[in-house]
Amino acid sequence: MSDSSGTRGSTGLDRRGFLRATAGGGAAIALASALPAGTLKAYSAAQEDGVDLKALSPKQYAVARAAAEALLVDVPVDPGAVARAVDTDLAAVGDPIRSDMRTVFTLLEHLTPLGLRFRRFTALGIDDRRAYLMTWARSRFNLRRAAFQATRGFLYFNTYLREETWPVTGFPGPWPERFEFPVPPVDFGEIA
Amino acid sequence: MIIQGTNRTGAVRDRADVVVIGTGAGGATLADYLSARGWDVVMLDKGGFFQAHDFTQREDDAMVDFNGRRGLDSTVDNAYFLNYAECIGGSTVHYWGDSFRAPADRLERWRGLGIDWMTVSDLAPHFDAIEADLGTHICPERLFNENNRLVRQGCEALGFAGDAVPTARVDCIGCGWTQYGCSYNRKSSQLITTIPRVSRRGGRIYSDARAERLIMEGGRARGVTGSLIDRDTDEAHGTFRIDAGLVVVAGGAIGSAEFLLRNLEDPTVGKRFYINPHYFVYADFGREIDNVTGIPCAYEVHEFRELHTDSAGRYARGGYTMLCNHQSPGVTAATLSDIGVEHRARMGRYRQLGSLMSVIDETHPGRLWVDDDGHRRTSFRVRGVDVHKAVDFLKNAARIFLAAGAREVWIPDVWGTVVRDEAGVEREIGIRSVMPNAQFAAGSHFLGTAPIGADAEDSFADQHGEAHRVPGLYVADGAAVPGSVSKDPSLTIMAVARRIAQGMHEREGGRGS
Repeated sequence: MSDSSGTRGSTGLDRRGFLRATAGGGAAIALASALPAGTLKAYSAAQEDGVDLKALSPKQYAVARAAAEALLVDVPVDPGAVARAVDTDLAAVGDPIRSDMRTVFTLLEHLTPLGLRFRRFTALGIDDRRAYLMTWARSRFNLRRAAFQATRGFLYFNTYLREETWPVTGFPGPWPERFEFPVPPVDFGEIA
Repeated sequence: MIIQGTNRTGAVRDRADVVVIGTGAGGATLADYLSARGWDVVMLDKGGFFQAHDFTQREDDAMVDFNGRRGLDSTVDNAYFLNYAECIGGSTVHYWGDSFRAPADRLERWRGLGIDWMTVSDLAPHFDAIEADLGTHICPERLFNENNRLVRQGCEALGFAGDAVPTARVDCIGCGWTQYGCSYNRKSSQLITTIPRVSRRGGRIYSDARAERLIMEGGRARGVTGSLIDRDTDEAHGTFRIDAGLVVVAGGAIGSAEFLLRNLEDPTVGKRFYINPHYFVYADFGREIDNVTGIPCAYEVHEFRELHTDSAGRYARGGYTMLCNHQSPGVTAATLSDIGVEHRARMGRYRQLGSLMSVIDETHPGRLWVDDDGHRRTSFRVRGVDVHKAVDFLKNAARIFLAAGAREVWIPDVWGTVVRDEAGVEREIGIRSVMPNAQFAAGSHFLGTAPIGADAEDSFADQHGEAHRVPGLYVADGAAVPGSVSKDPSLTIMAVARRIAQGMHEREGGRGS
C-alpha cells in the first residue's frame, strides 16, 4: 500500500504530527532518510502470513511482527496474529493515530544506528532486537521513548487481551461467560 | 425514542426546543432536567447504542464498541493515553461510579471567576437530586476486593487519611469489570437512568450521529447538521439536520472542544486541557490476592489532596489523591515494565498485584487544538510543581503497599524500578520515573476546554453556560468546568450541567424556541 501524503524521505516518513511534536523529530527524519529504505522483497512477512494489509505497508507490518517476536517470550500467542490485530486497529481508527504508528514503525526499522546497530531492525536477531528496543526505552530523547512505549503498549495490549494468555495471567475470564445473574430490565421506550 | 443512526440512510430532519450534542454525564443530566419540565429534546451522540447484553467484559469488544479512538488516543507525543467513551451514555458507561462532590475550596476558586452559584449551598440541591437518582451511597464492605482492603490497611498503618468512596450503583454484584460497561444494569450510568427517561418522555436520542456544523441564523445558534455513521465502518451513510431554539454542546471536554474549534474562531477553546494525570504503582504481594472482583476503587486515599508548600513557597507535599486500581490483563500488560522474559514474569504475577493510581490535581493544564491536517490533537506534560506531585504520589503509594505487606513495589517505568523498603523509596523513586514516556501514564478526567466564567477573554461561556460570543449556544459538560476538581469529576460535571439546565429553564421562559 502507498504511504500517506506529506513530505517524505526515501523511507516514507511523514513530517507531520508525531515527529513534529517531539524534539528531535526533524533530525530523526534526516537520519532515517539517509539510510537504505530496504526492498519490497525484504518485507515479505505479510505475504507469508497471508495478511491483506489495510493500514500498514509491508515494511511496517514486518516491523510490527518483528517487534512482537522480540516482546513475546514464552507467551502462547502468534506474533503474526498480534501484528495483524495492529493493522486492523489502525485501519479502523484512522489518522492521526494510523499515520503516527506508521511513522513509529518506520523509525524503528531505520534508526538502528542510534542503538549502535548497522542492520535494519527486521534484520536483527531476536535478542538483539530486544536490546535495541531497550536503547529506545531508556533514551534521553522523548521521541525514542515515545516510539518504544507506543510499540510495546500497542503490541502487549493486543496480546494479553487474548484468551490464550489467561493461563499465563490466571485471569478467570468475563463473568457473563461464567455466571448467570438477573439483569434488571430498562425501559428505553421505542428503539429504532 | 432511541434512533440508531447506523440503521438509517438518507437525510433525517428533526426539530426540538433544544438539541444536545453528547449523551454523557453533562448532556444527559441536562436533557433529563429539561425534558422533565416539558422541553422537547433531541440528543446526539456519535457513538453507538449498547445495552447490558452487549457488554461482554472483553477488552477488545469494549475498545471497538465504545472506547474513544479504540482506546488508542493519546497526547501528541504519546506521553498520556486518553481514556474516554463514545456511546450513548458517554463516559458514564465506562466510569467507575465514583461520585465525589467538588470540594469547597474548588468551588470557592471557581466562584472567584465570576460564577456566583459555585457555592456549596447553591450546588447542594443539585448534588442531592443526582445522588438520589443514581442511588449513590458509600461503598459497602462487600464490594471491597483485597486490593482495596490492603490499601486501606496500609493507610491505617501509616496514619494516612482515606475513605470508602461514594459510588453510584444499585445492588451491585461486584463482578469487577465496570469499566467495560455494566453487564448487569447495576451501575447507575446515564445509559440506564436519565437516557431512558428522556426517551420515554418523547425525546429523540440519535446514536451514531456525528455533529459537524453549527447552524447559525441571525447571529444565534439554531441547530446542528452532521452525518449518520455506519457503526461497523465508521463511514457516513446519511445526514441529519436538527433545528432547535437552543444548542447545547456536551460531548465531553475533548469532543465539545473539537466541535467548537471546527465551528468557531474562539481563542478560549482548548486553551486549557485538564486531564488529572494517572500514574500507576503496582505491588507484588507474593501470594494471590483478589484483585479482579468487587469494584475497582472502593477506597480513596485523600491524605494528600491539599497542596502544601514550605515557608519559602517550595513544594512540600500533596496535590493529588489516590484511587485503588485494577485493570484487565491487556491494559496491565501495556503498563508494566520490561519486555521479553522479564515482562512475561511480571504478567505471570498478575493475580498477585495490588495497584494504585494517581489523580494529580494539576496546576499546569495542557491544550487541545485542530492541526493543519484537520486532526484533533492534544498535548500535556507534567511540569513545575506537578512533577513534584507525581513523584510524591509514587513514593507514598509505595509506602502504602509496603506497610500493607507487599513483597515488592513496582514503579512501571522504563527502568523497571523495584522498591522493597523505605530506603528504596527515597533512593529509587525520582523525577526520571515521570518524565514523558518513562511510563505508560494516562488521563481520564478531562476538563476545562471551554470553561464558564465572567471574563470573555479567558472563558468560553458566561456563568449560565451560554457562549459569550454566540447567543443560543451553551456548554454543559466537563469542558465547562473551569479546572481540576481534584477528585473524580463525574458527579461535579453532572451537578454543573444540572445547574446550567436550571438556569436555561428559568432564563428561557420554560421553552427554548
